[in-house]
Amino acid sequence: MVTSITYDSGAQPLKGKRVGAPFSARYLGGLYPALLVAPAALLLVLWFVVPLARLSSLAFSGEEGALASFETLIASAAYRQVFLNTFKISFVVTVVAVILAFPVALLLSRLRGIWFVLTLYGVLFPFWVSLLVRTYSWILLLPKNGPVNQALMASGLIEAPVQLLFNNTAVVIGMTHVLLPYAILPLFARMRGIDGRLLQASDGLGASLFDTFRYVYLPLLLPGLLGAALVVFLLALGFFVTPALLGGAGALTVSTLIAGFVTDRLAWSLAAAGAIILLAAVLLLLVLFRRLLPLGRGGWAA
Amino acid sequence: MTQLPLGLRVAAHVGASLVLAFLMLPILAVIPASFNEARFIRLPPEAYSVEWYGAFAVDQEWRSALWNSFWVAAWTTLLSVVTGTAAALGLSRLPQRLNLALMGLFLAPLIVPLIVTAVAIYRTALDLQLNSTFAGLVLSHAVLALPFVVINVGIALRAVDETWLQAAAGLGAAPWTIFRTITLPTLAPGILGGGVFAFITSFDEFTVSLFMVGYQTKTLPIKIWEAVRFEFTPAVAVAATVIIVLTILLFALAMAVNRQQGEART
Repeated sequence: MVTSITYDSGAQPLKGKRVGAPFSARYLGGLYPALLVAPAALLLVLWFVVPLARLSSLAFSGEEGALASFETLIASAAYRQVFLNTFKISFVVTVVAVILAFPVALLLSRLRGIWFVLTLYGVLFPFWVSLLVRTYSWILLLPKNGPVNQALMASGLIEAPVQLLFNNTAVVIGMTHVLLPYAILPLFARMRGIDGRLLQASDGLGASLFDTFRYVYLPLLLPGLLGAALVVFLLALGFFVTPALLGGAGALTVSTLIAGFVTDRLAWSLAAAGAIILLAAVLLLLVLFRRLLPLGRGGWAA
Repeated sequence: MTQLPLGLRVAAHVGASLVLAFLMLPILAVIPASFNEARFIRLPPEAYSVEWYGAFAVDQEWRSALWNSFWVAAWTTLLSVVTGTAAALGLSRLPQRLNLALMGLFLAPLIVPLIVTAVAIYRTALDLQLNSTFAGLVLSHAVLALPFVVINVGIALRAVDETWLQAAAGLGAAPWTIFRTITLPTLAPGILGGGVFAFITSFDEFTVSLFMVGYQTKTLPIKIWEAVRFEFTPAVAVAATVIIVLTILLFALAMAVNRQQGEART
């Protein structure tokens, strides 16, 4: 049997007779593993970990005490409103994205051959197009005299143009558009893994289509649905580009608030406190629901 | 798989097509907008012209932004591919626990919200006076690109077959020869894929760059951001179209590499 070196095999001793130098040395061209990892690890520590630690320390360096910045953020109704708004936008985006992702994932899981490839490329393509370009498109599409308003008026849904830009609506539309592929891929991966014979068995035992969906398909799909929702929600919470470009002052989120603290007010302590709160929220959700994340081996990252 | 009734199948197809249209069409909307004749951008344009392509091509600011983006992306790719490939190789031979801990470190930039990373790096860069510098920008982009290289090369490493290595060693090949003739060629598609990811990550990067760039180091996304906010000429749409066309080319390359890698694995 052919055994291959797997990426995760770690330090497991290799079977068989060893010839000459230790095996790993041969495979890596005689270099030491730790030495190979060092440059990248150093880069991340010096230009990512240390900056994060230094920023965190800034949060506790307020002039009126260590926790003053956090108190300011929490005590102010305006800031609380921003946190609430961020949550609200993220929640709506998550629900809409998962609903929209469902039919595409379903189609992907059933298509074969060239149609499957084309649809998959269609889903992957936006990933590759500049986030800024994707967001900018909506600035062209959503103005009062823009194509979306014109189409809505032509269809008789609205009588006068509505304000779609520079408010929560624009942020939700833009963010859903950007985050949709992140919902489609884990959902599709889960759907593909569902054993079709279970559905056939349910069908054969006389269950109605709805019952098969409700009692067999949906429970099997649930981890995929929740995983997709978690990914979208986590990304939405900290999203910056879309709220900054499409929301403006009309739809502040935590991320645009933090940026404003730094660029407009030079309020570093407040910015750092906001960043810690945001990071803590993301990490907390991640730890609580990490089992749902499709991050494991052979996950969507591939 | 059970066959759905016709009505549901049609509904799923129609629904999926609409969602795919929602995904694709808005991105392509900038292309007609870039052919506007007017001074102010309008969609759909009242009259078409390639005038703004000319204006874009000769505008010093757009040109230097495009140039900066290319250079930053090229150096970011080099830095992250070299360190990331080495790291993926080293990780595969480290004890399990250390491997997991380091993998957490390498994936962390994907998990920490970009705005947090941006503000943190910006602050340290300010203190070291590395903000507005080319080096500061490349280091920041490399941090964000590194996870993709480590992941891609890590996946490619699975294709390295132990029996080949044993055969080569048995035939008396030196470690470095084995690395050069077996490990590296097998990893090539993964390295290339990671490199493409790294390049796009940098070329596209906005959040961290917004804080880190200076007047001399302004990249294309930042220039677009400024143009969107302060001027409304179709030059922005031209820049966006240029990015989309470049993206399609890179996308095709990545897909071709991906296919090759898939074939190599089977």
